[in-house]
Amino acid sequence: MRALEQTLVPPADGWLTDTPAAALSVLAVGWLVAVVALPPPSARVIGLAAAHGALLGTALAWTATERSERWAPLQAALLIGTAAACARTFPGGALAYLAVPVWLAWRRGAWLSRPRAGWGRAIIAGAVFGVVLGLHLLVNASLTLGYRLRPPPIAGLIGWIAYDVGANVLATEAFFRLALFRRAYRRWPFLGAVALSAGASVARYLVDPLLPHSAAILAGATFYLALLGAGNCVLLVRTGSLVAPLSAAIVFFGAYRLLTVR
Amino acid sequence: MTLAVVVALAAITVAIGLADTGAASLWRHAYHVPVLAATVRWGAAGMVAALGAVLLYAPFVLPALERVGATPAVLEGLLTFGSLLGIGALGSALTAGARRQRTRYETLVAVHRAIDGDTPLEVALGRLRACLEARLQGAVAVVVRDGDRLSIAGGAAVASGGAVGRVLATGTPLFVADLGGRDVPRRCFVAPLLARGGATGALALERDGDIGADERQAVRALAAHVGLALENARLAALQRRFADELGEKVAAATRQIVENDRMKSEFVAIASHELRTPLTALQGFSELLATRRFAPSEIVRLGAIMSAETERLGRIVSDFLDLSRLERGLPPPLRRERVDAAVVIADAVEVLRRARTTHELEVDCAPILPPLDADPDALDRIVKNLVSNALKYSPPGSRVRVAARPLQMPPAVEIVVEDEGGGIAEADLERVFEPYYRAHGAVRAAGGVGLGLAVVKSLVDAHGGSIRAENLTPHGTRMTLILPAVP
Repeated sequence: MRALEQTLVPPADGWLTDTPAAALSVLAVGWLVAVVALPPPSARVIGLAAAHGALLGTALAWTATERSERWAPLQAALLIGTAAACARTFPGGALAYLAVPVWLAWRRGAWLSRPRAGWGRAIIAGAVFGVVLGLHLLVNASLTLGYRLRPPPIAGLIGWIAYDVGANVLATEAFFRLALFRRAYRRWPFLGAVALSAGASVARYLVDPLLPHSAAILAGATFYLALLGAGNCVLLVRTGSLVAPLSAAIVFFGAYRLLTVR
Repeated sequence: MTLAVVVALAAITVAIGLADTGAASLWRHAYHVPVLAATVRWGAAGMVAALGAVLLYAPFVLPALERVGATPAVLEGLLTFGSLLGIGALGSALTAGARRQRTRYETLVAVHRAIDGDTPLEVALGRLRACLEARLQGAVAVVVRDGDRLSIAGGAAVASGGAVGRVLATGTPLFVADLGGRDVPRRCFVAPLLARGGATGALALERDGDIGADERQAVRALAAHVGLALENARLAALQRRFADELGEKVAAATRQIVENDRMKSEFVAIASHELRTPLTALQGFSELLATRRFAPSEIVRLGAIMSAETERLGRIVSDFLDLSRLERGLPPPLRRERVDAAVVIADAVEVLRRARTTHELEVDCAPILPPLDADPDALDRIVKNLVSNALKYSPPGSRVRVAARPLQMPPAVEIVVEDEGGGIAEADLERVFEPYYRAHGAVRAAGGVGLGLAVVKSLVDAHGGSIRAENLTPHGTRMTLILPAVP
């Protein structure tokens, strides 16, 4: 028993320990320069790359155990930016987003290692949660707000799913669950850590320029994303792996992509 | 139960849908039943059922709110949301609280059962730990100060800088939010076991995940209770041990008294017999001298017999007097002077050789012996007693050897009396110098009152010397006494 036999060592890490401040600064400056100097489409690509790269890179840096990950945000942003540029430039170019998880599996295989509960159970648990939440979203949104359940063209749907898998969901779950939630859970009770993680991820989506900013949409987003965030925290703790939260979020966002939201 | 709740929620939702009255459907009230059942059954987890009911009912209420605004029917629907969530939260809290309370009482009972009975501390701690691990759902260690050492259940040693070590040192509870080194935080809470006005040990709970403030408070109270229970068990065990020891002492004392009584009775019988023998002889010979006429030579022979019997009577009475002093804790009176041990030994052996011609008496003294600071009469009695005993307890025709040799550092004389008799039983060797004590078979083998060796030992002790008895191989007994020489 460690409380008995192990000398107590005060935790060395603070809230912002291992934050790759230099890389984040570079990304922020790059994004500002792009907004000022580049045409809006290019600025959006750079903004998307900077935001997701910052989340993914910070998650890599915060969870690093062996080597320093000071420049991980720049590497992630470069990869995501390239994928975003491909998506804008070529038909089917959005599939380039799928290079990000491959890169991540190479960089940090432990994130996608076998869950404690096994691959099947973790993926199914996440998928069931995502399906329940996604279905409710579809029913509620179509009944309440009158949004039509009209799937986009298959090529567009695949593009969105690739974006979710490679950038949106991956970066969000990596940072808000794996990095932020775990860091908070080391200091706070479970409910407090869940509230911080879910609240922060809701805030991230509320400022996302891709989300329509009507009151009804914002209220719905807050409700569902808070539930998704809280549920994913539980899944992360129960399965011990990012696989289940990723599965839930990908399924939920897949359902969301079926709605025609304006 | 889970399936029943899910089916009930789904059935109510279908019923609301089929009723076609939307948010105003009276079926909405039915949601309370599975929600209440779930909170009663699962406690805090029952809140999930309340949330599920709200999610299922929302598609009937929110569209109406969007279409027609806050009508009474919509407000009733929203009120139902609040009611379901409120019942879920309140029911969950009450059920969880009641369960916690019940668990605490059950844990206390289990703790008492675990340490009940006259079991060693290590065993009791092992049981206690197993019981607490099952109930607290985490790794548990119990450490108790047992004199100068620590009794530990749940580990091998206590690190002085560890969580438990710190609590033992400070006596205050300690909560560690994360012991580090793993993805999931490993929490630990250590509470002192309180008794005798301080910390007598520590109770540690370690777990992956939360140990909430409420649970920490409960563990703290449990630790205080365990401390008192262990202290009570310790005191009860101590009391039982004292009672057992006292019982053993009383039994031993009783046995000793009975044995002393038996020995004294035996002594009185033997002493009476020993006194009667010379008295009978004296009485008989004196009556003969008074009533008849004898030739002068016969009168001399009878006088010599009477003198010997009188001397024997005098020895017995001297032994009684010495015994009396011995029992009062008084040393025998000594008149010390420089004594040549060889001379005393030779004289005493010569007297006995003349009296008993049945044995071969051998004297083997070193040519030069240091003078003793002793009472010559006492030394004479010592040697005579030992040699008489050797003669009494060895078969006729056997050899009795008396030897003396000087010892250095400190200067002393060792006197040895050896016989070729049957020896002394090992169990009796330690006790032959006790007053009244007679080795098994000694009564049958020879007469005497059983005071000789006790008197010898008291005399040797009074001289500052020592005496011991041992058996010889293949048979025989050796008495070895050491008397200090003149410095």
